Amino acid sequence: MSIIVGYVPTPVGKAALDAAIAESKLRNEELLIVNSSREGALVDKNTASSDDWKEVEAVVSAAGIDSQIIESTYRDDLTEEFLRIATERKVSLIVIGLRQRTQVGKFIMGSHAQRILLQADRPVLAVKANAH
Amino acid sequence: MQKHKDKQDTPETDEIIATEALTPEELAEIWESDAPAKAGPVAHLASSLVLVAFSLAGVIMSVNLDLGTPQTPKAGMWPFIVSIIIGVMAVVQLIVGRGGGRDGERFTKYSWFALIGFATLILLVILMPVIGFEVPSLLLCFVWMRWLGAETWRSATLYSTLVVVIFYLIFIVGLGTSIPHVI
Amino acid sequence: MDFFAPVLDGFGTVMDPTNLLYCLVGVVIGMLVGVLPGLGPAATIAILLPLTYGIEPVTAIIMLAGIFYGAQYGGTITSVLLRLPGEASSVVTVFDGYVMAKQGRAGTALGIAAIGSFAGATVSIIGLTFLAPLVASFALDFGPPEYAALALLGILLVATISGASKIKAIIAAAVGLLLATVGRDIFTGAERFTFGNLSMADGIDFAPLAMGLFGIGEILYNLEDRHRAVSAPIKVKRVWPSGKDIKQAAPAMGRGSLLGFFLGILPGGGATISSLVSYAVEKKVAKDPSRFGKGAIEGVAGPETANNAAATSSFIPLLTLGIPANGTMAIIFGALLIQGITPGPQLIGNDPELFWGVVNSMYIGNILLLLMAIPLVGVFIRILRIRAAILAPITVLITMLGAYTIRNSIFDVFLVVVFGALGYVMKKFGFEPGPLVLAFVLGSLLESNLRRSLLVLEGDLGGFFTRPISASLLIVFVIVALWPMLKSFIDKRKTNTLAVQVETEKEKV
Repeated sequence: MSIIVGYVPTPVGKAALDAAIAESKLRNEELLIVNSSREGALVDKNTASSDDWKEVEAVVSAAGIDSQIIESTYRDDLTEEFLRIATERKVSLIVIGLRQRTQVGKFIMGSHAQRILLQADRPVLAVKANAH
Repeated sequence: MQKHKDKQDTPETDEIIATEALTPEELAEIWESDAPAKAGPVAHLASSLVLVAFSLAGVIMSVNLDLGTPQTPKAGMWPFIVSIIIGVMAVVQLIVGRGGGRDGERFTKYSWFALIGFATLILLVILMPVIGFEVPSLLLCFVWMRWLGAETWRSATLYSTLVVVIFYLIFIVGLGTSIPHVI
Repeated sequence: MDFFAPVLDGFGTVMDPTNLLYCLVGVVIGMLVGVLPGLGPAATIAILLPLTYGIEPVTAIIMLAGIFYGAQYGGTITSVLLRLPGEASSVVTVFDGYVMAKQGRAGTALGIAAIGSFAGATVSIIGLTFLAPLVASFALDFGPPEYAALALLGILLVATISGASKIKAIIAAAVGLLLATVGRDIFTGAERFTFGNLSMADGIDFAPLAMGLFGIGEILYNLEDRHRAVSAPIKVKRVWPSGKDIKQAAPAMGRGSLLGFFLGILPGGGATISSLVSYAVEKKVAKDPSRFGKGAIEGVAGPETANNAAATSSFIPLLTLGIPANGTMAIIFGALLIQGITPGPQLIGNDPELFWGVVNSMYIGNILLLLMAIPLVGVFIRILRIRAAILAPITVLITMLGAYTIRNSIFDVFLVVVFGALGYVMKKFGFEPGPLVLAFVLGSLLESNLRRSLLVLEGDLGGFFTRPISASLLIVFVIVALWPMLKSFIDKRKTNTLAVQVETEKEKV
């Protein structure tokens, strides 16, 4: 069994990663770190750079857990792509970061986190940036 | 920690390799492997045959135009020569490149996108003189963004409207061109 | 001083505030469009052709030169920042430029590329200033046979040097020649291949052809090719190269300029070849070749200088002989024709203001490029973040509506779409649009000169060989045409003898 975490190089993403590492230690399960970029643009701010990955590797190896990095791209729907990987790897827990947003903002922009919460068929841990 | 790279074949999940500084040779290799599949012998044969047919049509029409003589070449002479060149080269191509398909690209399921794109362009040409450029342009933008570009309904609606408004402001209000428009 | 008077007058023309403004607009728009994925300089100029209609010829050309340089530099930007060469001539820039960007020296790489481009263009322009009148005066004696031979040679060289398959390139060129015959025959008045369509009677216009083949064709092609790697945001410090950087890169620039200038005069892919050669030369000359590929500044400076020097010197055959050296030059040639200017040996004598205006506008274009390159990097990075799904319909609409504004003709727009489809299909089947457009542009020139020569020589083709210039041009033509066959024959014999040798060696053992 393993734990999956959606990683983006932002404070929310880092908070999610931290929580996922703690959980992975606790359950003694492998951690899958997923960063998925949207196709089409040449540059995407949610894509992890090699520097970001170095940082992640440092944090993970300090925690002393098993982990895998999965980089993927999606065409139109991040939620589907993320849940596809989660199902394929038969994970026991999904960890995602939540941004604080108003209802109006969520209506206009949509929310992948919300859709993952609603559509996932396994436990989801949602983390906020200022949780610590 | 073990770094794992998944490779899956479905295009939606084409997981990319973390890219680091590479030597030119490695880079060339990556470009090579990223390049689309080659067209292959069937496409090769088909394109050569189409060209042969094209050349024959050219020859017949040129002869009908009156070739004249080398001393006094008439209208058909030059197209006749050029058509012959096309035909000869197409035949050479057919023979020399038999194993064929070192260049060109295979059609993929995404080639439909190009066809749909072409259809929307033709539609724009047909509709523009009749109902102005706004509605067909909006339609084109929306189709290209929503279905060809996999944007969400929301962003496709928003951006296509925005694009048409800006084009209206630039071409009609700003530059005062005579592009057919309804408003 | 007589020689320099028109040159200086040309500067006066360019320094006119209106012209300067158009040049600036051209550079910026050229860079913006050139940065867009999948749109090289040829496509950029083609899409923006309608912009130059309705402006005065000199101003239009100055703007075109600006667009040209901007678009070229756009390819450099993506090479350095994303490892995506916008065109063949900036492929080698990727090797060291991208590594420099990774090391946080993207600003230095882009800056040195801009300085190198400027240096290369400067050398080429000086060369052009002296060489062009010479070539033009030489070409003044050309008669129809010489022109026909020259046009034939030009088409053949472009077809054979550029691209993968020579046979396919020649076919494409022949199709271009055939397309050029559409319309009323200038000698007999007979209507050719018009199929009774009134809009076709005046022939196919250059603008819809170029906009379709290069613009729409490219965009349609990109529709199915979205699966590019996505990069993380790039941090670019807006630093100019330091004095030390420039000092280190200066010799590379010097070599690159000379190399580019001479290779650029030769028809066919001058810029690409010269950038490749320059990279190889720099690697060879360097004390420590292992630095290359690891962020050596010479590896950016040399090729970028060379390709710009070549791009500039390829204006020489265009402006003095009326023979475009590559696909991009063919578009500029077409744009000049649209403005009612026929580039050729007479241009420099008949319209010196225009000629030197064009030459000097290149110079100003490069200065503006140098000034704009670094400050605008932030804008370019922002553009790279826009998804192709949003950009594609915008570029398509610019092209379509632009095509309409040229003559207010929906038929032109229709032609653009048709040629767009042709461009897409050609690309899918491995035919390049470059030779087609080039041959199309030279088509009527070639045909009328050929027919005139036949009239003059009374149908005796041997007459071409009794005139020294046309004879030597045609001999070169034959050599170029037969060279690939000859080479493959020699290669075969070599491998054959090698195989035989191996066999005998084996027998000995």
